[in-house]
Amino acid sequence: MAAEKAEMDALKKECDALRTQIEAARKAVNDSSMSAASGGATAVGRVQLKLRKTLKGHLAKIYAMHWSADSRQMVSASQDGKLLVWDTFTGNKLVAVPLKSAWVMSVAFAPSGNLVASGGLDNICTVYNIKAASPKTLRELDAHTGYLSCCRFLSDTEILTASGDTTCCLWDLETGKQKVIFTNHIGDCMSLALSSDMNTFISGACDSLAKLWDVREGACKQTFSGHTSDINAISFFPSGNAVITGSDDCTCKMYDLRADQEVIGYQDTNLNAGVTSLALSSSGRLIFAGYDDFNCHIWDSLKGEKVGVLSGHDNRVSCTGVPADGMGVCTGSWDSFLKLWN
Amino acid sequence: MSSKAHSSNNIGHAQRTVQQLRIEASIERIKVSKASADLMNYCSEHARNDPLLMGIPASDNPFKDKKPCTIL
Repeated sequence: MAAEKAEMDALKKECDALRTQIEAARKAVNDSSMSAASGGATAVGRVQLKLRKTLKGHLAKIYAMHWSADSRQMVSASQDGKLLVWDTFTGNKLVAVPLKSAWVMSVAFAPSGNLVASGGLDNICTVYNIKAASPKTLRELDAHTGYLSCCRFLSDTEILTASGDTTCCLWDLETGKQKVIFTNHIGDCMSLALSSDMNTFISGACDSLAKLWDVREGACKQTFSGHTSDINAISFFPSGNAVITGSDDCTCKMYDLRADQEVIGYQDTNLNAGVTSLALSSSGRLIFAGYDDFNCHIWDSLKGEKVGVLSGHDNRVSCTGVPADGMGVCTGSWDSFLKLWN
Repeated sequence: MSSKAHSSNNIGHAQRTVQQLRIEASIERIKVSKASADLMNYCSEHARNDPLLMGIPASDNPFKDKKPCTIL
């Protein structure tokens, strides 16, 4: 017993020393601030986007949406128990997928446009072929022991999931089996985002940490702290060198991957609502963040200033997305509507 | 669960934490000034191709409802 206690003490001491070392290394490169650096950047002025379309069709709260890679189709998920695939140019509904479990929390479009996936309180990620005559269940990925909070396809044969069981997982869709399990968070995983080269992904969790993972090795490469509550939303900056997070602590933050630390925060004393979702404009200059206050606030990512707001929903904005061509923003809400702005 | 199994679980967990921290401690870091400059450069290089920053002419706007024209 004494030998084990000695070993625990030695390990705890080494942990503390390593944490101190990491903090010192971060401090050593913290020679400036983004706010100071961005003083010279041109201001974006007031960003006033117009509401172009309101998509009506869901009968209950919308929890998630995801753009297709074609920047035209979009899939939304509602606790009315349906996924709807929309043609956003016409506002038409193209496909309706009835769900086995209405308690959906996440939805994803495969890059090919052939498949969509969803999951939620059933702990299962279900993959559907929407190109068939009527939507056909391709796979039920059932191994998580907690709710499915987020899913993202790498291709028609691989998908990443994030779960309330604190793990993320890479699945093989040909076999329906788990390929890699990502364990390190100590709170429910709420959100994930895949890098454009698909070699890494980032996750945000209820332990208030964001983590960068190697997709193939399963290793956690970096951990970012600073938030004081659950991280609900996470996205890569388009260059791939930074990560933006949104949290229940009412702030968003940008962490630079190569400096290994927070470089700027987005907060406002008048904004006392949690961040539910976020998306970036194609240059990365604008952050569209959905909040519990029914609005989507627009931030200048470099200067840390609020530059606009998308108002119109009658309940919490639960999901936000910008298509690959950057031509607009879609917001989805508990008011059961999706809105398109540009 | 015997106390021996319990304590070896704790040691296993502590060992994994040390391993993880060693990975995170070992990375190369660049200066925040360089990181900020690179992010700013990316934004300025891509600004002119960012439709939400530049604005979209009505004729090119895929989401704008097109009203039919009547010739009077």
